[in-house]
Amino acid sequence: MAAGELEGSKPLNGLLNALAQDTFHGHPGITEELLRSQLYPEVPPEEFRPFLAKMRGILKSIASADMDFNQLEAFLTAQTKKQGGITSDQAAVISKFWKSHKTKIRESLMNQSRWNSGLRGLSWRVDGKSQSRHSAQIHTPVAIIELELGKYGQCDLPFSSSVVVFQKSEFLCLEFDEVKVNQILKTLSEVEESISTLISQPN
Amino acid sequence: MKAPLPHPPLAQRMQIRDCWALIRHLFEARNTLVDFQWKLGMAVSSDTCRSLKYPYVAVMLKVADHSGQVKTKCFEMTIPQFQNFYRQFKEIAAVIETV
Repeated sequence: MAAGELEGSKPLNGLLNALAQDTFHGHPGITEELLRSQLYPEVPPEEFRPFLAKMRGILKSIASADMDFNQLEAFLTAQTKKQGGITSDQAAVISKFWKSHKTKIRESLMNQSRWNSGLRGLSWRVDGKSQSRHSAQIHTPVAIIELELGKYGQCDLPFSSSVVVFQKSEFLCLEFDEVKVNQILKTLSEVEESISTLISQPN
Repeated sequence: MKAPLPHPPLAQRMQIRDCWALIRHLFEARNTLVDFQWKLGMAVSSDTCRSLKYPYVAVMLKVADHSGQVKTKCFEMTIPQFQNFYRQFKEIAAVIETV
């Protein structure tokens, strides 16, 4: 039985999920044989391989172009009309999958293209004034801020074109007095103003 | 039955507390911020995604450690991450003002 004839949307949906995990989210260990045996056990390997490649290619094209829903419909319709393309049922499954997973896939693609460290987390506390017998104040209020910075790296695995893995975080601990906090706030408001200007400009 | 240990006088307890604060201060590797530079960029396209189209904030911090040595740290934030970063600083400012 050919992979294209096996429908029920469940196997194809499962396949698309696995392809997204492998291609975009960097999940290791997703092999061709695993997918075939779990999702399409009745399809011989020599038939499954081109089917898998076709689905991967379609998913990558959709993600690379960041297709909106009009573009998606046009693209999938064209794929159904092609020689060796996809069926209407498959097109429907792919369409539904992209609508549900677009945001997460896009986020992974953005992370893949970021080569500087990203801000993974921020925690803070404010230490108050304290006194001792010998001086009125030995501390003024300070904010202690811990930034967690981390980088996405890429490595190649045999089955995938690339795999994204998240490298170990670096923690940066900074101390600010009140004056410094307010200086940073002023700077951040300038950043926000620039962002507003950018967003308000027509494309 | 052994007599209970005498409670240290107040001044001595405060000196002990100062020492612990100093020790904690020395062991927590804190840096001070020397400079904060930023730019707003727009990622348009890449080899893995032809249509990226996302703005980002790139930050370069110059920080000095306790010995005075200055090092540079760079990182990027998406717009939602920046907005959270900004919101947190506003919260810090509000709290530090009241302490």
